[in-house]
Amino acid sequence: MKKNNPIIAIVFWSLVSFLTLFPIYWLFVISVKPAVQLFSTPDVILSDPYWGNYAKVWGDRLLRSYMVNSLVISTGNALLCTTLGFFACYALSRFKMAGKESLFFWTITNRMAPPAVFLLPLFLLMTQVYAVGDFRLLDTRIGMILVYCTFNLPFAIWTLRPTLDGIPKELDEAAYVDGASSWKVITEIVFPLCRPGLAVTLILTWVFAWNEYLLAATLTNFNARTLTTGLSEYVTTTGTEWGIMATISVFTLIPALIVFGLVQKHIVAGLTFGAVKG
Amino acid sequence: MAQVKIDNVIKRYGSVQVMHGVNVDIDDGEFVVLVGPSGCGKSTLLRMLAGLEEISDGAISIGDRVVNDVPPKERDIAMVFQSYALYPHKTVYDNIGFPLKMAGRDKSEIDQKVRGAADILDLTKYLKRYPKELSGGQRQRVAMGRAIVRDPQVFLFDEPLSNLDAKLRVTMRVEIKELHQRLGTTIVYVTHDQIEAMTMADKIVVMRDGRVEQIGAPLDLYDNPANVFVAGFIGSPSMNFIHGQIVTDGGVRQFRSDSGLLLPLPQTALPDGHKVTYGIRPEHIAIGNHGVPLRVVVVEPTGSETQVFAKHGGDFVDALVKDRFKAAPNSEVRFVIDPANVHLFDRTTEQRL
Repeated sequence: MKKNNPIIAIVFWSLVSFLTLFPIYWLFVISVKPAVQLFSTPDVILSDPYWGNYAKVWGDRLLRSYMVNSLVISTGNALLCTTLGFFACYALSRFKMAGKESLFFWTITNRMAPPAVFLLPLFLLMTQVYAVGDFRLLDTRIGMILVYCTFNLPFAIWTLRPTLDGIPKELDEAAYVDGASSWKVITEIVFPLCRPGLAVTLILTWVFAWNEYLLAATLTNFNARTLTTGLSEYVTTTGTEWGIMATISVFTLIPALIVFGLVQKHIVAGLTFGAVKG
Repeated sequence: MAQVKIDNVIKRYGSVQVMHGVNVDIDDGEFVVLVGPSGCGKSTLLRMLAGLEEISDGAISIGDRVVNDVPPKERDIAMVFQSYALYPHKTVYDNIGFPLKMAGRDKSEIDQKVRGAADILDLTKYLKRYPKELSGGQRQRVAMGRAIVRDPQVFLFDEPLSNLDAKLRVTMRVEIKELHQRLGTTIVYVTHDQIEAMTMADKIVVMRDGRVEQIGAPLDLYDNPANVFVAGFIGSPSMNFIHGQIVTDGGVRQFRSDSGLLLPLPQTALPDGHKVTYGIRPEHIAIGNHGVPLRVVVVEPTGSETQVFAKHGGDFVDALVKDRFKAAPNSEVRFVIDPANVHLFDRTTEQRL
């Protein structure tokens, strides 16, 4: 068999890595330069970093609250969607039910429509329909968590279904015969075996909610405003604060990188789950 | 240990009936094998015994208790699956200890019993390994360990050896039989392999199309099969069947096949002209100078014995002899048949006459 030349592979992957990482590096360079330098000497070399933008962003209470909102909404939504998706897929995979394939298909079609289509109905639902006393879902964290479920739950069901289907039913049956209750079968057998798929679902739904702009910009005013919507506040009629925006973007990237790093092993396992005989 | 009683059990999937009033009585400590071809209902019957399938009608009792509506975990049974169904994320120790953990036993008791079971099954040095790090035979033993650790009333085995290679299958067969002798627990064992059934069972239940064809001790089924199906299923190689009728030729009562082959008959009161199926096992045919003349088709030596396929017209007859035998295709061979070993079956009902 012909052996591949390692130099070509090294050059190819170096190029791919460069193309992927360079924009992030550039973003960081912009975030550590004062506004004057940005326009006078636009270069990509990192020299004498200026941390003023970071101090400004970190010191801004409003931006800090946007970040907390983003974290709470993304994490809450990812946990809710993954949990509900897991149980929905368990039911779809394990129980006999008339029309369950149609139900599954109908569920995932909700993900196919463009989110903008739902803007007005969602706005009306959050202001007019789901109201308890003075409480409205509009501009609340719980409201945004639920809104993102509209799109993320079908996605979670779609990604988790093959994982659940890939776990042999004989394992459930063996556990039942071994004396396990239905709850124990789920917690002791099915859930641990689903971990790679759950990690993938968790991270992807989290990233969707973290990055989302359109719904957040429309359905929040002040209390539940997220970091992505906060970013747009620095594009004003008097100019764009590139340094601050780059700094916020770096702050936006950090949690995503941390989460990806933590579950990277599971993501690779999850994406190849069931591809080969174990 | 417990008796098991399967009383007129019926199973329907929608409007399709797959089990037609099955009755089986299993004694305390008995090793019973359910055997039959694919789709005969043996695995369904075992799953109904385990509580993994509901029964549509009839009753199943374990001990003195009717268990029709009792969930699997309360039936006091243990089951070994065809695929072993080991929990891949648990070590051998945790796999074996799982039923005890579910029963809420304390850690010291679990430890003692798991190590005891591992000792019996020679698994002690593998306790920290995961199932994927074990060979097929070791996985099989872990599955058995998980079953015996609970000390159940009944063991259920669903084709446990079918994923193993031929050599390992023989070894595991002996191990399961030894285990039964040591523990004395009632065992219900499903297989499609009649050799497994013959070598392991105290009692064999032969099934076909959701019905019991015959129940009996292995050698009873071999010597006195109730019908053509059981006669053909039990014994390897399979019994020869030749269609024909009873005739008197030259003052001697004989069997004449549809293609004119004359074969010796045992004592029978059946009249001339009665249409029968003539059954003779290959191992009951010898090769001699004064037997029935046939033409050799194929000779298959296996070392310890030789299988000779021969024909006469449209009738094929297969003989299994201990002696080394060589013959060219199409040469004449004479098969010697002792009438005492011949079985006659009714051609219409296929029942033994």
